[in-house]
Amino acid sequence: MLSTKTIFLLYLSTGFTIGFGHCIGMCGPIVVSFSLNLKDKSILVPQLLYHLGRIITYAILGGVVAAAGSFTIVAANIESIQKGVMIFTGVLIMLMGLAMAGWVPLGNVFGDHSHPGGVISKGFGKLLKAKSTLVYLPLGLLLGLLPCGPVYTALLGAARTGMEINTIYHGILAGMGLMAAFGLGTVPALFLVAKLAGLGWLKSRAIIYKVGAVLMILVGFVFVIKAVRF
Amino acid sequence: MLKIRGSYCSSRGFFKREKEGGTAAVKMKRLMIPFSAVILTAFLLAAPGRIAAGDKYQEMINCDLHQGACTQNLAGSTITLTVTPRPVKAMQDLLFQVTLAGKLPSNNKLPYIDLGMPGMNMGPNHVQLKPAGKAAYEGRGVIVRCPSGRRTWQATVTIPDVGQTKFIFDVIY
Repeated sequence: MLSTKTIFLLYLSTGFTIGFGHCIGMCGPIVVSFSLNLKDKSILVPQLLYHLGRIITYAILGGVVAAAGSFTIVAANIESIQKGVMIFTGVLIMLMGLAMAGWVPLGNVFGDHSHPGGVISKGFGKLLKAKSTLVYLPLGLLLGLLPCGPVYTALLGAARTGMEINTIYHGILAGMGLMAAFGLGTVPALFLVAKLAGLGWLKSRAIIYKVGAVLMILVGFVFVIKAVRF
Repeated sequence: MLKIRGSYCSSRGFFKREKEGGTAAVKMKRLMIPFSAVILTAFLLAAPGRIAAGDKYQEMINCDLHQGACTQNLAGSTITLTVTPRPVKAMQDLLFQVTLAGKLPSNNKLPYIDLGMPGMNMGPNHVQLKPAGKAAYEGRGVIVRCPSGRRTWQATVTIPDVGQTKFIFDVIY
């Protein structure tokens, strides 16, 4: 039986290795798209807020599976939500690409002329313009729900650990802590990718933005297809 | 809000100073030009293969757990793996049963199974087995679903003091 401290370190190190071995390939396009969308702005605070949101969601999921004592029951209940989040992510990345290149006026996309105060229009507008750095926190909270194999595996372990602890309260805390440690471990890899993709010094190179925009639109399309097949 | 904007500006200042750091930093930043394009392009190139029902790892499949038990030989020992309920589906509770013949683990050491995907790190997914009769062991586990669409999984069965063997099989999503 491993000590609690050892299990936390195990989750942290697992997150770290998974980050470099898995997340860069699967979720790298998301953080790269955010970096491209930020253009000449610093990515530091937005990325940290995004990852904080992701970690909070992982921790909540960890607490839920520990309380439920079953990974499969929770997973079955959130499957449709995850599918929706995956579609949302794909659409968001595509729109970021379109907006970045200036090819599609967002007002036309969401019908701002007829419904200037519409929830969808306002919501997407805030996301895409990203004037408020804080918008990356709810984005992280939402995208923390994206279906992901290693997150499932970590939740499986969190559910088991939660069940092995005598009281439900301590089990929930353990589940939350383990998933937070796992999420924290994945941050360095994704942050490094986002930092390397930061194009703040390229503001005069319009062609790079055009190429980036095309790639973002294609990546978003792939996300939507994957979501439909999920 | 103001505080965050303040720190945001400070971080911009930091990166600006960093940018003025010298030619090495400039060269590094020039390398970043294609970096984002490489990441996004690599993802796009890999995606069709992932999305397609088949994948190159299907050629590695050495076991059809949907039909029944699979058997492999390992250093004088015969290992039989059964997974139920069948067909074997991801994201559901599964019972893994291992039966040994020939050389057995010494000192009552217990065999165990590590679940994973060939060529992709899915995190440690360990199934601890408990004795379930003479030279028989069983334990519960879950094969998680990979959103990439790949369905080829492997169960690495480790028999202490004997060795380990891989059962590579298809899973239904």
